[in-house]
Amino acid sequence: MLEEGEKMQGNEKISAGQMGLLMYFAISASAVTVVPGITGKYAQNDLWLSPIWASLIGYVTVYIACRLHQLYPKQSIIQYSQTILGSFLGKVTSLFFIFFYLHLTGLIVRAYAEFVVGNFLTRTPISVVMISMVMVTALAVRGGVEVLGRTAQLFFFMFLIPVALMPTLLGSMKLQYLFPILEHGLKPTFLGAASPQAWFSEIFIMAYFLPLVSNQEKSMRAGMWSVFGTMMLLTIINVFILLVMGRQAGDFLYPVMVAFRYISVADFFQNLDSVVMGIWIIGLFQKISVFYYASVIGTSQLLGLRDYRPLVLPFGILVVIMGFWSIPDQLHVSAFDTFAFPFYGPLVQTVFPLLLLILAFWQKRGQASHAGRTALTDDTNS
Amino acid sequence: MKWGLLLGMSTLVGLMIMYEWPKLKSLPKKDKLSFFVLVFIGWFLSLFDLPNLPGPTSMIESLFKPFSKMLE
Repeated sequence: MLEEGEKMQGNEKISAGQMGLLMYFAISASAVTVVPGITGKYAQNDLWLSPIWASLIGYVTVYIACRLHQLYPKQSIIQYSQTILGSFLGKVTSLFFIFFYLHLTGLIVRAYAEFVVGNFLTRTPISVVMISMVMVTALAVRGGVEVLGRTAQLFFFMFLIPVALMPTLLGSMKLQYLFPILEHGLKPTFLGAASPQAWFSEIFIMAYFLPLVSNQEKSMRAGMWSVFGTMMLLTIINVFILLVMGRQAGDFLYPVMVAFRYISVADFFQNLDSVVMGIWIIGLFQKISVFYYASVIGTSQLLGLRDYRPLVLPFGILVVIMGFWSIPDQLHVSAFDTFAFPFYGPLVQTVFPLLLLILAFWQKRGQASHAGRTALTDDTNS
Repeated sequence: MKWGLLLGMSTLVGLMIMYEWPKLKSLPKKDKLSFFVLVFIGWFLSLFDLPNLPGPTSMIESLFKPFSKMLE
């Protein structure tokens, strides 16, 4: 029985490439829906520059997560935070991280449901949309990390179909919307980067997946590539909505959706927004299952359980609850994304792990010099 | 208090326990305990009128209010 339990948690492996794709979905799937609108509010017609500034924090976060994992191989953040901070503080930190990801999963599910209900299923109760998505992702999470990795590979090219649809709007793009570039200096583009950089810092969730990667030496490169890919996607999308809509882009909640609604080729290819919607729902499924998996696996590691699978369904209830708690309407969802998350996200996912890394370096150096000294004294004694 | 919600949640929780029990039975006591505690927390919280209660989201919003002014 124990062997079976170990097999359930220990032997599942994904490749570095699969992890990179999972991380790609974990950032970009919900970033493409709301972030261009938030960026457009601040950066106006320079909104295509903001993802480039924002991605810097993504590279830094990948570096921190990979270095921490190098120092403590085969351990996730839940396990090595207890080594670094000691048993009690480490457990408190782990509990906070689990809460953070559970809360975030709830917010993502809520944002997804608002997106679906706001655009298409206007008469469906929002709880139905949320619960059905949580049930599908619960199945994927129960399937294990290999299932997640393979679905990510399967869906990756599908997720890029909207980019291939963009040239159909070439006729209604106006290049003069780009100008004047940097009319008000760089400051608006930095303010516009506030929201996307919180999304980029979400790549720290790779700290839960790194111990499961089979070819470790490639994991940092895979993480860096997924940050770069997300940056490219966001930049392309921002240029696209800018050329189609101009400064109006910031006035919409889901500007990319509005832009795709314009598509009409030979009066035949129309209403392609529903295709794009379907593809983005696939992406969001992938994103939600990554966050869901991280919070469940974190809990089972903290409590030292033999199998994480029984926790999946109870966590589903908690995810839906987090999606409703103190969020009466859509306005509160976007207020949180615009004003609180740009500080909260990077603080927990980049600044705090950086402190952990500094502490870990300090500890390891202390241990190394201590070991060196004892070796020296042993030498003289003998 | 919405009786329909209470009834629905209790049914859901009951089904969930029935579904998980065969696999849960062979696992250690700790696994069983954490499953039931989590289910109970979920069931208990669902009885409140959550959207209009202060919770984690509103707490974080008020915590970061001084910084949020930079973005307004």
